[in-house]
Amino acid sequence: MKIAISATGQTVDSMLDKRFGRCQYFVIQDTETGEVETVENKGLTSEGGAGIAASQQLIDEGVEVIITGNLGPNAFELIEKSGIKAYKCHEMVIRDVLEKYGSGELLEIEESGPAHHGGH
Amino acid sequence: MDLVVLSGKGGTGKTTIAAALSELAKEVTRVDCDVDAANLHLYYEGKDIAREDFYGGKVAYIDGNICTRCGSCEHVCRFDAIEDFRVMPLACEGCGACTLICPQDAIELKPEKDGDVYTTQLDDGILSRAEMEIGSDGSGMLITLLRRIARKYSDDETLTVIDGSPGIGCPVIASITGSDAVLVVTEPTQSGLSDLERVVKLSRHFDIDPMVCINKYDINEDMGKEIEAFVEEEGLQLVGKIPFDDLVMESIHELKPIVYYEGSSAAKAIKDMWLTIKSLIF
Repeated sequence: MKIAISATGQTVDSMLDKRFGRCQYFVIQDTETGEVETVENKGLTSEGGAGIAASQQLIDEGVEVIITGNLGPNAFELIEKSGIKAYKCHEMVIRDVLEKYGSGELLEIEESGPAHHGGH
Repeated sequence: MDLVVLSGKGGTGKTTIAAALSELAKEVTRVDCDVDAANLHLYYEGKDIAREDFYGGKVAYIDGNICTRCGSCEHVCRFDAIEDFRVMPLACEGCGACTLICPQDAIELKPEKDGDVYTTQLDDGILSRAEMEIGSDGSGMLITLLRRIARKYSDDETLTVIDGSPGIGCPVIASITGSDAVLVVTEPTQSGLSDLERVVKLSRHFDIDPMVCINKYDINEDMGKEIEAFVEEEGLQLVGKIPFDDLVMESIHELKPIVYYEGSSAAKAIKDMWLTIKSLIF
């Protein structure tokens, strides 16, 4: 299973970024092999709809779990409908985030709210 | 510490209050994220210390040497942006449908300059701001850039006051994400309340319970009470009730933040509000 974490850097020693759609990188760990890869967040270069672009990218990567600070309304809707589980975490080193996730300490992001529409 | 000043509704006095608060904060970084109507810089005689081009959107470009004038692009364009095998940049949304349909591969999307991004040095810190080209509008991407520049000049202790844009769209979302506190400036009108409700909902998506201030609260006291009731019901903090004050108009004309007007009742209320905000966010 693949876990994606919004990050400020490219390794497990970098910090979690509380922003989802506008974070710099996603650090992705495959829990079966333990392998870690990093992808640049496509949302960062989207003029609008960053949360949607980032969500789509992670869906395409086959990610099943996302750990971030907060999800905007559009990203939340897309991720929820894709059956991906999203968890909330504070700014901390990615290595520790993964540990917290492993021990079941992270809370799922469940709030639902109104989406804004339009591409700006 | 990022404090975002939002309004939901336009014309509530958001910039006036953001400017006043940043004066009271002393060491401060200012970000004008209301890029469609950027006017925070008007209050200051600063010096631009950096400028860069901002490329946000993309616009289709047809290579006339390769184009066979088949017209597929014109047919597929939902924005009627292609006429006589030429793209009209102001109408093009950069969706890229024409690049996909073109059998000759004659069309590509090219980045379009949307505006200039300035870093302006003021006496007590920097102001990060943008000037948009005609036909361009504020985007989350631009807001993210303005905030990133501001962060370069700040440490964790520095207060960053972000003058946000009205509404609950992409630029507002990009202003809130990763911020520490939100202040919503509303006014005692039906639309003020309705837009307040929307921006509160949005802010809570990002786990921030916004503070609320009612500007010109005494122009409609009944409506003001209704807003107060809403704020209480939502369990939010009403941090300020600012009275209508003619001196505010004068301060806007003279481009001097309202806090420098002795005897201004609005300035006094804003100073009291700042003490409350400080106690809540630091």
